[in-house]
Amino acid sequence: MKILSVTTSLSEDSSTLKLADRILSAAAAAGEEQGWTVETDHVNIRTLTTSLTDMTLTGFRSEELEEAFAKVAEADAIVTVTPVYKVAPVGVHTLFWQLIDDKALAGTPVLIGATGGTPRHSLAADSMLRPVLSYLKGLVVPTSVFAATDDWGSAEGGRSLGGRIRQAAEELVALTVSMRGLAVTEAGHASDAEADHATGAEAGHATGAEAGGFSVTEAGRPGARSRRGVDDEFDPELITPFAQLLQG
Amino acid sequence: MELGIFTIGDVTTDPTNGTTVSEHQRIKNTVELAKKAEEVGLDVFATGQHHNPPFVAPANPPILLANIAAQTQTLRLSTATTLITTTDPVRIAEDYSYAQHLSEGRISLIMGRGNTGPVYPWFGKDIRSGIPLAVENYNLLYRLWRERNLDWEGRFRTPLGGFTVTPWPLDDVPPFVWHGSIRSPEIAEQAAYYGDGFFHNNIFWPTSHTARMVQLYRQRYEYYGHGAARQAIVGLGGQVFMRKNSQDAVREFRPYFDNAPVYGHGPSLEDFSTQTPLTVGSPQQVIERTLSFREWAGDYQRQLFLIDHAGLPQKTVLEQLDLLGEEVIPVLRKEFAKNRPADVPDAPTHESLVARHRAGRDPIPGGGEGSRAHADRLAREAEAETGVNRK
Repeated sequence: MKILSVTTSLSEDSSTLKLADRILSAAAAAGEEQGWTVETDHVNIRTLTTSLTDMTLTGFRSEELEEAFAKVAEADAIVTVTPVYKVAPVGVHTLFWQLIDDKALAGTPVLIGATGGTPRHSLAADSMLRPVLSYLKGLVVPTSVFAATDDWGSAEGGRSLGGRIRQAAEELVALTVSMRGLAVTEAGHASDAEADHATGAEAGHATGAEAGGFSVTEAGRPGARSRRGVDDEFDPELITPFAQLLQG
Repeated sequence: MELGIFTIGDVTTDPTNGTTVSEHQRIKNTVELAKKAEEVGLDVFATGQHHNPPFVAPANPPILLANIAAQTQTLRLSTATTLITTTDPVRIAEDYSYAQHLSEGRISLIMGRGNTGPVYPWFGKDIRSGIPLAVENYNLLYRLWRERNLDWEGRFRTPLGGFTVTPWPLDDVPPFVWHGSIRSPEIAEQAAYYGDGFFHNNIFWPTSHTARMVQLYRQRYEYYGHGAARQAIVGLGGQVFMRKNSQDAVREFRPYFDNAPVYGHGPSLEDFSTQTPLTVGSPQQVIERTLSFREWAGDYQRQLFLIDHAGLPQKTVLEQLDLLGEEVIPVLRKEFAKNRPADVPDAPTHESLVARHRAGRDPIPGGGEGSRAHADRLAREAEAETGVNRK
């Protein structure tokens, strides 16, 4: 299971990065507890800021941006954490999600995190980022995690933050597992390679003949196929034949 | 290989001195540019079509091209692009067959859609129908140039009954058509379907993307049976600024780049030069960069350079033409010809199209017998037939 953090950390060691790391390790722990091998990875939007404004102005993507978009398309789950400025996610964070291909996030579970100076910013990401991610057909988990200065400063705040992180991370993992339509095998382990194999040519055999093994079907993974390879529109085997365009 | 220039005719303030040429002057400058292109040995002059500032000179390409045709002898004249979405196909058919007669067949067209939403309703259209407009309108234009007494009905214009284009295309052969698009696979598919050319402006996007579009067109061209993929008719744009000394070129061009319409105030000149085919430097650098296009696009047929935008003074632009003519074009001609397979066609000319027509070798839209497209169609029909029999 690949979990990707798409986070805007504006300084080297920001509280936003700390929150993203804590959420990632909580999600990895929740996944591993269920027998999954979890890989985590980071995209820091700060390093893409120039590319994002260039793309806004010229329409083209730098290689770095292409790579980041591809990572999102390949991830099984996303954690996205942003600092809040004036009761809104910082602009470059939102811009990343506004510029990504429409299909890149479709069907992927997403966990929203945010940081701010005071608890009065707490619903900022929920009210502004959640609609953007929903528009992209990302599956945003019900619990999002907001951390204010108070949460880092006191033991009580820290305990409460830890609880929220665990709750949200468990939701993310549960949703990811159900989206992938994969039951964990009796051996207690399922890897991505096996999952992909089972959805290939022998899927019928693997699911039909071995009851109690994989319960994978193509239908069990809505969106999973369609979002793979955002550039498929240039595949000569997949494009709409002109005669069809001509019929209107 | 056709080598030439294309213009978008923008009236932009020169950022180095704050002067702005008048519309009148810009139009006269454009004509001067085209005449000079012939003088220095270029093959093609192409103009965009725009109806919104700052793009002033190309508001009416057929008039501009006819005027240039009257003042030149061999220069081929093209659009880059003709707005197939918002211009009535009947108007396009008559304007360009007329220009074809006046120019003795030196006219070709590149079709484009136009990406400025507000322009569409000025001509009674809607940008949301951009692709369907390009599809229907071009199909009508294609038929107008080939069928007399045409009866036609469609979604986007009033029906035609018994209409014949006047004047009829010269020697019964319509101007060659290219289809231009930056990122719509439908347009590459359209070009392939008809056996027309495909042109990519190759200015704003990385070559990795442009290569995919060209590749898609080539594969579909073969699918429709017009020839092997390597024989498809490909055109590319490009953008250059040259001085003998490359540092001089960079220093002089930077303020124009930084303030250019479309991409100004965005990426740096250096980033843009790495990420897109823009080349600012010595003639030798332009030669090397342009020759490298063949590595990802294959042997191709038309190369157009943008040299006259962003407020560059006319004097500078004419100097660019001198450099192109003296140092760049002769080398490109020689190098592009090297190792070019004999079965890769040259850019179509009126003469080659007439010969093709008389030999009965005009491309069959959608693919004739022997093409994969034709075989697929037969298979589908047979399948439908079986379905009917089962009932």
